[in-house]
Amino acid sequence: MKEFHKLWALTLRNMKCYFKDKFLFFVSLITPMILLVLFVTFLRTVYIDSFNGIFAMFGFEAEEKIVNGLAGSWLLSSVMSVCAVTVAICSNAVMIQDKIDGVVNDLRTSPVKGTTLSLSYFIANFLVTLIVMLSVLIVGFVYLAIVGWYIPFKNVMMILVDTLCCVLFGTLFAGVIESFISTQGALSAVSTLVSSLYGFICGAYMPLSQFASGVRNVICVLPGTYSVGIMRNHFMSGYVEELGRLGLPYEGQQALLDGFDGNIYIGETQMPLWSMYVILLGTCALLLAAYISIVILQNKRHAKNKIKS
Amino acid sequence: MIIEISNLHKSFKDVKAVDDLSFCVKEGELFAFLGVNGAGKSTTINILSGILPKDSGSVIVCGENIDKQADEVKLRLGIVFQASVLDKRLSAYDNLKSRAALYGISGEKFKKRLGELDKLLGLNDILKRPLCKLSGGQRRRIDIARALVHDPELLILDEPTTGLDPQTRAVVWRVIEELRKSQGLTVFLTTHYMEEAANADYVVILDAGKKVAEGTPHELKSLYAADIVRLYSHLEEAEDLFRSLGYSVCRERGYVDVEIKGTRTATQLITEHSELFDDYEVMKGNMDSVFLRVTGKDVREV
Repeated sequence: MKEFHKLWALTLRNMKCYFKDKFLFFVSLITPMILLVLFVTFLRTVYIDSFNGIFAMFGFEAEEKIVNGLAGSWLLSSVMSVCAVTVAICSNAVMIQDKIDGVVNDLRTSPVKGTTLSLSYFIANFLVTLIVMLSVLIVGFVYLAIVGWYIPFKNVMMILVDTLCCVLFGTLFAGVIESFISTQGALSAVSTLVSSLYGFICGAYMPLSQFASGVRNVICVLPGTYSVGIMRNHFMSGYVEELGRLGLPYEGQQALLDGFDGNIYIGETQMPLWSMYVILLGTCALLLAAYISIVILQNKRHAKNKIKS
Repeated sequence: MIIEISNLHKSFKDVKAVDDLSFCVKEGELFAFLGVNGAGKSTTINILSGILPKDSGSVIVCGENIDKQADEVKLRLGIVFQASVLDKRLSAYDNLKSRAALYGISGEKFKKRLGELDKLLGLNDILKRPLCKLSGGQRRRIDIARALVHDPELLILDEPTTGLDPQTRAVVWRVIEELRKSQGLTVFLTTHYMEEAANADYVVILDAGKKVAEGTPHELKSLYAADIVRLYSHLEEAEDLFRSLGYSVCRERGYVDVEIKGTRTATQLITEHSELFDDYEVMKGNMDSVFLRVTGKDVREV
């Protein structure tokens, strides 16, 4: 129980450090917002044209409102899945900064287990990333409500569940990668690499259908793809159902889902939605095992030397 | 003994940071640990406080073996690091509150302890301000409050007054003295200021990871530091005479310094050559000379 109180005190302290660092908080929050604005400003019309192209193939003409909403929801699902990882990497900077400033030495002079300390960073990062992502989601929902809202309540709930899954994945990913980082330079390098690469390799910036089949198959092996997949499903399905109700034939609905990653294929096999959750949560379990192993090994290495004498 | 260190070794690759170090610290004393930068002082402190693992040797703090009862030891010692290691963006209050919680001190218990620390260190005006907005001296007071938040028996101070103005240094020393008197707190101090070491009960001097001297300041001064007789008149004659008698003489503009072993010798010289001693003073050897003699290095230059 005592250790639990220490864990909670450290988690609160880590979160306070994050929110008091206005620059860090601002960058974490503004990055998804900027991505959202850039998507809407520059890519919205490209996707609207693509949607209309598919509709035209089936002799269907959609209302502007539903097409705008569909484009917005596709873009928002991209932002949510990518930023769950990039924000987690950014907000975990508190842990790195503690190593750089020597604060971690002060914490280690107190009677706190190394595992409690590591767990406190993980929980704080999870909560901070969740708060930022929920803020982005609220902004995104407001945007969709303005341009065209066709997301049923159950999907809104599922999007919240998806956000939790994506944030868990992002936090564990950040935790594992950043366990080995102890300098500001290395943190910047990792943040830059992940920010620039991750969106492409998980199929968030471009629909998978636009990649060559070989590349597509490689991307489908990566678990991040399925964090995008579950988001796409719950953001887009309400719009697709509405299009079906308005007269878009089933083949047209499937073409839309196939072209914009509502359906994900490995080879010729379509991945069911539940399997995406299994892959994503299975990866989370593996990352958690890796994170725990790293923490235990790092603590053991410290303790082993102490017992050598 | 509150600290017993035997045959302590610690290396960083090929560099022996601490090399077969043994010493003891008695309960309630002010213990000074001296050495130039890189002598191994901070490494020893980090091992004592459980931050750094040792290679070999035995470390007993407050009767507990640091290898087996690290948490017990941590409950009983407080440490003020060379550089402040608190959260700069958090307020002093938040810093103290979050650290106190790690020792199981919260709620009313924390408020009570904070009141005691405020009385001791005068924290009230700075508690709500973020640490990054505090002056060096104010931040030092918070560092000390953090080290004392769990009411430790042993306080480790790693160069606590370096870079502080004389007024703040005086405040730090007043607090340390007050704690020693009122609570019998043992203070383990590393410092670059030899006048601070001169007030210690016991001193250990470290050089390149090895202990090179130890004793009370008086013992060390008697062993390693010579007295100086400074003459302000008859400079030429004094210089010639004392050189011819085999003394170490240094002539500067306006005075001649003669290095003499012991005050008794000085009295003898003054009596025998009273014609030269119209205007003079006898200066006792200080800890600077001890340090210089023992390590061959001037502590202010390294």
